[in-house]
Order: sequence, then C-alpha cells, then structure tokens
Amino acid sequence: MTLQHYLVISAILFTLGIFAVLTRRNAISILMGIELILNSCNLNFAAFARFMTPPEDISGQIIAIFGIVLAAAEAAVFLAIILAIYREFGSIRPDEVDTLKG
Amino acid sequence: MEFTLKTFIFYGFALMTIASALVVVTVRNIVHAAFSLMVTLFGVAGLYVFLQADFLAATQVIVYVGGILVLILFGVMMTSGRLEMRIHIERGQLLLGGVVALALLMLLLTVIANTPVWKNLTDDGIELPPTTERIGELILNGPFLLPFEVVSVLLLVALIGATLISRKEVRDE
Amino acid sequence: MIVLLISLILLCPLAAFAIFGLLGLAKRSFPRQDYLSTAAMLIALACSLLLLQEVVPDPEPHTVQWLSLGSVTFSMGFYLDSVTAIMLIVVTLVSSLVHIFSMGYMHGDPRYPRFFAFLSLFSFSMLFLVVSDNLLGIYIGWELVGLCSYLLIGFWFEKDSAADACKKAFLTTRVGDVGMFIGMMMLFTKFDTLSLYGEGGIFAQAAAQLSTGDMVWLSIAGVLIFCGAVGKSAQVPLHTWLPDAMEGPTPVSALIHAATMVAAGVYLTARMFPILTETSSLVIAYIGGITAIIAATIAIVRFDIKRVLAYSTVSQLGYMMLGIGVGSYVAGLFHLTTHAFFKALLFLGSGSVIHAFHAMHGHGHDDEHGHEHDDHDAHGHDHDENHGSEPVLGSEIPPDQDMRNMGGLRHKMPITFITMLIATLSISGVPFIFSGFWSKDAILAGVLGRAMEWNSVHHYLLFGMALFAAGITAFYMFRLIFMTFFGEPRNQEMHDMAHESPKSMTVPLLVLAVLSFPVVNTLWFNADYVKPPEQPHLHAPAHAHVSPDSKVGEAGLTFSLFGISEAVAAEDGADDTHGAHGDDAHHGHGPAHTIAMVLSIIVAGLGILLSWLFYHRRTLSAESVATTFRPLYTLFWHKYYFDEFYNGVLVAVTVWKSRLFAQFDGTIVDGIVNGVGTVTRDILAAFVGVFDNRIVDGLVNQVAEVTWSIGGRVRRIQTGAIQTYLFVVLAGIVLLILIFRVL
Repeated sequence: MTLQHYLVISAILFTLGIFAVLTRRNAISILMGIELILNSCNLNFAAFARFMTPPEDISGQIIAIFGIVLAAAEAAVFLAIILAIYREFGSIRPDEVDTLKG
Repeated sequence: MEFTLKTFIFYGFALMTIASALVVVTVRNIVHAAFSLMVTLFGVAGLYVFLQADFLAATQVIVYVGGILVLILFGVMMTSGRLEMRIHIERGQLLLGGVVALALLMLLLTVIANTPVWKNLTDDGIELPPTTERIGELILNGPFLLPFEVVSVLLLVALIGATLISRKEVRDE
Repeated sequence: MIVLLISLILLCPLAAFAIFGLLGLAKRSFPRQDYLSTAAMLIALACSLLLLQEVVPDPEPHTVQWLSLGSVTFSMGFYLDSVTAIMLIVVTLVSSLVHIFSMGYMHGDPRYPRFFAFLSLFSFSMLFLVVSDNLLGIYIGWELVGLCSYLLIGFWFEKDSAADACKKAFLTTRVGDVGMFIGMMMLFTKFDTLSLYGEGGIFAQAAAQLSTGDMVWLSIAGVLIFCGAVGKSAQVPLHTWLPDAMEGPTPVSALIHAATMVAAGVYLTARMFPILTETSSLVIAYIGGITAIIAATIAIVRFDIKRVLAYSTVSQLGYMMLGIGVGSYVAGLFHLTTHAFFKALLFLGSGSVIHAFHAMHGHGHDDEHGHEHDDHDAHGHDHDENHGSEPVLGSEIPPDQDMRNMGGLRHKMPITFITMLIATLSISGVPFIFSGFWSKDAILAGVLGRAMEWNSVHHYLLFGMALFAAGITAFYMFRLIFMTFFGEPRNQEMHDMAHESPKSMTVPLLVLAVLSFPVVNTLWFNADYVKPPEQPHLHAPAHAHVSPDSKVGEAGLTFSLFGISEAVAAEDGADDTHGAHGDDAHHGHGPAHTIAMVLSIIVAGLGILLSWLFYHRRTLSAESVATTFRPLYTLFWHKYYFDEFYNGVLVAVTVWKSRLFAQFDGTIVDGIVNGVGTVTRDILAAFVGVFDNRIVDGLVNQVAEVTWSIGGRVRRIQTGAIQTYLFVVLAGIVLLILIFRVL
C-alpha cells in the first residue's frame, strides 16, 4: 500500500462529502456530508503521519484525534442549531431558511 | 505489488468505505443514509488499522459510531416526520453539484498523481509498536498538553452552547 | 530667610482661604474653621515679628521674572524695609485680633465660615500689597483688597443698604483707581518698568531725571497715583463711600475700613514718596488737610456710633496724607500705625456695644443681620442716610447703633468702656501717655516746621487746618464717649438688656488698649529704625538745604516715650536746623516742635472741655447752638452735600447720557443691525436657499439614487441560501486552481 492509495480514498470521500453538502436538501444529510469530509481529512493526517514522517513520530495521529473531538463538538452544536431552526421554521430544509436573503 | 491477503483486505475496506459513502450521498431515505454512514465510518476505522494507528481506529469507532452517529439518528428522529424521511433532491442542483464535485475530484486526483514527493512511498510492511502509550505521553505529559486542555474547554463550551441553543425556553426570555 | 518668612506670611492666609473655598465648593463644612483662619493669621503674625529683625538699610528687592511681553519684562517680588516690616505687623496683628473678636461677634451667623474665608483672603491681599516691590504687584493687591472690601461690606447682602453700600464703595474707589492706573502707565511709558527699587527701578531713574529738571509730568503722574490713594483712603472728594461701608459687619469695619485697607492709600503715598514733587506734595497736603476738617465737622453731628467713627477715620487719614504731603514721612507712617491700633480698638469697642444691644431686641444676640432686616422692613423702604435726599433725623439709624439710645453704659460694660476711653484719649491727643498724642503732634510739628522753614503761606494755612481738625476730633470723640457711657440711660429697656461681651471680644480690646500706649510702639518705631527716603525737592537749591542725614542719626533716641518725639523731631529738625543751628541738632528743632505741642494740647483740651460742657454737664445746649448756627449745622448734617452733588449731578448726567446712548443704540445701531439682517434674510438668504435646494440637494439626491439602484440590483445575488454560497465558493476555488495550476 502506498500513500497514494490512501490519498485517493480520501479524495473520493472528500468529493462525496462536498457533493452531499451541495445537493442534499436536508440539514442532517448535510451534516453527514460534513462528517465524510472530516473523515477524509483525518485519514489524510494519519496517512501522512505514517508515510511522510519518521515512523515513531505520531503527531499526525494526535491531530486526527483532535479532529475527531472537534467533529463531535461540531456535531453537537450543529444538531442543536438544527433543533432551534426546526422549532423556528418548522423545517430543516436549508433553502427554506433564507432570512438573510437580500 | 504482490497480491497478498493483506492487500485484499485493504481493498475490501477501501471499497466498503467508498461504496457506503456513495450510498450516504445518494440514498433518499435519511435513516438508510445514516446507517450507511456507519459502514463508512467502520471502513475508515479499518483503514486506520492498516496505517497502524490502533488508538485512532478505536477512537473512530467509539466516538463516531458510538457517539456522533447516535446523535445524528436522534436528530433525524426529532426533526423529521415520516414524510420528511425522504430527502428531496432537485435535478438542476444535482447536476450542478455533480459537475463541481467531479471537477474537484479530477483536480485532487491530478494533484495526487503529479506530486513527486508522494510517489512510491510504501510502508514496507514494518510493524510499529502500539501507539496508545506514546499518545498518552504526548497528550498528557508532552507538547500537546496545552492543545489538549484547550480542546477540552472547547468541548465543554460546545456542549453548554448546544444545550443552551436547543433549549425550548430559549425564546421565552 | 526673608523670602521664607514672607512666603509663609502670604501663604498662611491664602491657604486658609483656599481650604475654605474648596470646602465651600464641595458644600462641606469643617468643624471650627475659624480656628484655622485665626491660626493662619497668628502664624503670619509670628513671622512678621521675626521679620522685624531681618530689616537692613537699603535692602535689595527679592524678585522673580513674572511675565515677558515682547521686550518688556514684568517682575514680581518682595521688598522688605522698615516700613514694610511695620506694616506687616500692623496688618497681621490687627487681623489676628479681629479674627478672634469675630469668633464672638459673628457667632451663629449662617455664613460664618464664609466670613472667615473673606477675612483670610483680605489678609492675604493686604499683605501682598504691602510686600510687593513693584507697582504692578501693589496694584494687584490693591484691587484684591478692594474686592474683599466689596464682599465684606455686602456680607449681609439681604439688606438693601448693605448691597448699595458695597456697590458704592467699589465704584467710588474705582474712580480713584482709574487715575492710579493712568499714573502707573505714565511712569511705565517713561521708565519702561514698574519696579520701584533696585537698579533701573522707577526711583533710581526718577532721581536721575529729577536732577535735570522737567518735573511737570512727574507731578501729574504723582497726583494721578495719589488719586488711587484718594479713593482707597476715602479722601475728599471720594470719601463718601467709607461711612456707608459701615453697613458691613463691625469687625470688618475695624480691620478693613479703619486699620488696614484705607491705610493702604497712605502706605502707597509713602511708598511713592521719592517721586513726589513739590507740586504733587502740596496737592496731597491740601487734600489731606481739607479731608481732615470736612470729615471732622461732619462727625460732630452724627448720631450713629459707627458713622462717627467712620468720619473720624476719614479725618485721621487726611492727617496722615497731610503729614506725608509736607514731607513728614515718618510722622505720617507713625500716625498710620498708632491710628490703626486705636481706631481698630474704637471700632471693636463700638462693635461690642452694638453686640450688647442685640440682646435687647429679643432676637438672641447672634442674628444681627436678621433683626436689622426687620428694622428696615419696619421703615417701609430702605432709606439710607447717605442716599436719601431729605434725611429725617435719626430715622435711618439702626437703633442699636444710635447713640441717643445709649448712655450710662460704663457700669454695664466696664472693659469696653475702659478700653474705648483709652482709645479716645489717644485719638484726641491727650498728652504724653497716649500714642495718638505723639503721632498727631509729630504731624502738626512737621507741618509747622515746614511752614516756618519755607515761610510758606500754604503750610501755615495747612497747620491751621490741622490744628482746627485736632480740636474738633477731641470734641466729637468725647461727645461719643459721653453719650454712650456717661449720663443716665436714655433708653431704659435697652439699657437693662445690655451686657458685657464674651471673652473672645474683650481680649482683643484689651490687647489693642495696651497697644494704644506709646511705650509699646516705641519698641519698633524710632528714628533709628525708620528712615525717610530722600525726596529731591526737599533738597532743592531753592530751599538751601543741607543733607538731613546727620540730624536723623543724632536725634534717633529709642528711649521709651521721648523716643518718638525725638524721632519725629529729628525729621522736623532736619529742615530747620541747617544754617544758624546747624551745629546743634537738638536745639534746632525746638521752636516748631514746642509750639506745635503746646498748641495741640490747648486745642485738644478745649475740645474735651467743650464736649464735657455740652454733653456731660449740659451747661451748654447743643440744640441751641445748632439753632443759632443753623446754616452751618445743616451743612454738616448733609455732609457738605457731597452725596447730593454726586446724585444730582454725576448720577443724573450719567443716567441722562445712558438714556441718550440707549436711544442711539435703539434707533441707529439697532436700525443698522436690523437693516443688515433684513437684507441678509430676504435677498441673500433667498438666493442661497435656491442654490442649496437645486444644486447642492440635487447633487446629493442624485448620488443617493444611483447608489440605491445599484444596491437594488446587487442584492439579488444575496439569496440567503447557504448551499448557493458554498457552490459559488467551491466553483471559484476549482476555477482558480485550474487557471493557476493548469494554464
């Protein structure tokens, strides 16, 4: 297995996440897309830590751990916002939440 | 590259990850999407194992599968009636999104293929010692102590903020 | 050391005032503020006594550069000679005693702290005036004491009469001050400096110029500066404010209007002594003499105890001016000193009497102004003695100041009686054991000596005036004593309520009484100590003078009583002992001095005798004499019609002029202004308005409309949908990377 294997997997995950964020009309689906993006990033960190640095240097893994923690925090806040929006608008479709429309 | 059991399993995990992710972004039933996401997360955890990041893999399973995914499922249940379970997709948006995403993928693959330093880096099949102890040292008694404390405060703030935002009485004040 | 002591003297009262002022601003009061003020004055007094030892002959002024305007530099500084030192003691001593007296007299007044604040400010200003070495500093202090006088005369401003009196005092003295300022400017133009002493000072330059002749302008400048003194020292014709100033609290009358501020005029004249020419000296002497007589004759017919004293003050100030005018510098200043003590004593004594009578009104003895207020209400309208065109006898005098309500008080108020009697004996010129005799005699001897020496009609005439005034002084002062303290009580009710004053008031009386004996004054006032500055015209060739220095030195005895007479005699002797008696100074001054002394004893005795006959034995009737000399009596009663003249002529002319100017203002100036206004509004403004509406506003609106329409189009981009934004961002990133990486 080479670094490029992991990078390709990561790029595909990332693109799928972007695709979900761009096209899904449901806030929770968007959250899932974001989780995919975050996973691809963590995978990249871990892969670079494995291949680009000396094997005993595992800083990249620790960054990935922090990324997981941030993802957890982000998910919590995101869901809270979704709940608040749902209560306010009766919907979680992002195209219906357009109060900031000019 | 010889085709060993190890590579076979690796490709299996990779395929599982990508296929289930594809399901996540395409399936119309949001509950199905959530379960498919679980498969993707497991797949990524397996790839971590191949990177010899055992602690990371465990964290991935525990936090993502055990925490975030459950959270997402709760979000689904609290916000969606039966009718909303199906995700609405518009054709034009799908087309535009698909074009941009494809362009992005092409770009990334080009970059990956054309970056010289990334070429031909292999793990040589070297077995590394377990990482858990070293990670604990680095986080609790090393250079990552401060980020660790900061991130724990951030987590706390996020949890309190989430509670505050999602409270029902928030508008009654 | 000198600078330190003088700074302390100045700063103590100033600090007291500043503390009061700050507390007053903060609307806080400080327990026993009066102690603070009094302590400040006592410190200043102690410093003044220490300074007495520091005096050296021909001192240098201690100056700092204060202000530079172009090529002209003004300096501020101290000058300490014997006169300064004595003035410092007089001011701080009287001020301290008045502070102590006021603790009793002003007790319970609602503005009690303010009173002490003003007293402190006054003390500071007066001391500043005294120690200044230049005309500018003197002028600053001069105006500051004027301000304090104004504030303190009007201290009970609820009374219309007090409010009027303080304005009158301020405005009247201002008339003199204008003259003084012009005089200062003349000196400044001529000498380019306002400093008096030292190299390049006015005196040094004047002495140099005087030797070359040309003294007319200097005479004019001297007389103009003397104008300030005329106003401040209440000399004729600007004397009318001082009797009215008695509307202020009595301690103020004692401090400001008897002992110190009014004496500032004399002090100023004495300071300017070296530049007084023969002409200006004669003017000063005449004004002094006339003032002495006019004020004394008016005092005869007054019934208000404070006004009698006020006119007496005016008269005595005239004496001092006369003394300085004839060149008897030491005598004039000596009289200033003795007068300060005994006149302060008389005023404080009268304050004690008034205080005693307050109780009888049943208002409690601590609300003087309150009950005076009532009195004025009872009279219907305020009808001040000096303002009314037809004063009714006695109606305008507050009952507690009316001598016709008094009588027989000597048993009730023994301390007040004894002390006032001592002061009266002193001012009347009772010989040998009272200071007033020596100082007055010194002036008389100085005038007569000058007359004999120059054989000048002017000076013989002045001597006659002074002698006459001395006799009248004795007469009216004993009239006051007889009416107040002797005889039967005229108003039994008031008499029964009268009482001796508290200790805080009697102690200052006793101290001042001691100071009325010449022994005390001799301690510092003797010929060795005070030396007159040189005055050029006294040594002019026309009068064939020799230098007086030798005589002054010889005659300077410090032995108790006769020290004074010798000191003064030395001055007189200086004038008439050259020539024939030049070899024997002690006999040389004999004739003038002996004659003056004998004559003054005779007139004083005569005055006292007449007073005794009129007001104690009553063998002569004042009323019948008044009837016999009706026109003269009326003249005195109306105070020579000065106020009537001022009201009828000056005030009327001013009012008429003001009306004229008001009319001019109303029709012509306002017309022009209104015309310009109309033109501006109707024509110019209309044009500008059109310009404003069409062009300026149009431009602004156009810009706004363009912005509005652009904004209206641009805002469509803002869809509010997050995914659209994200899409654009991503597309942008892809494009950018494609452009820069691929192309």
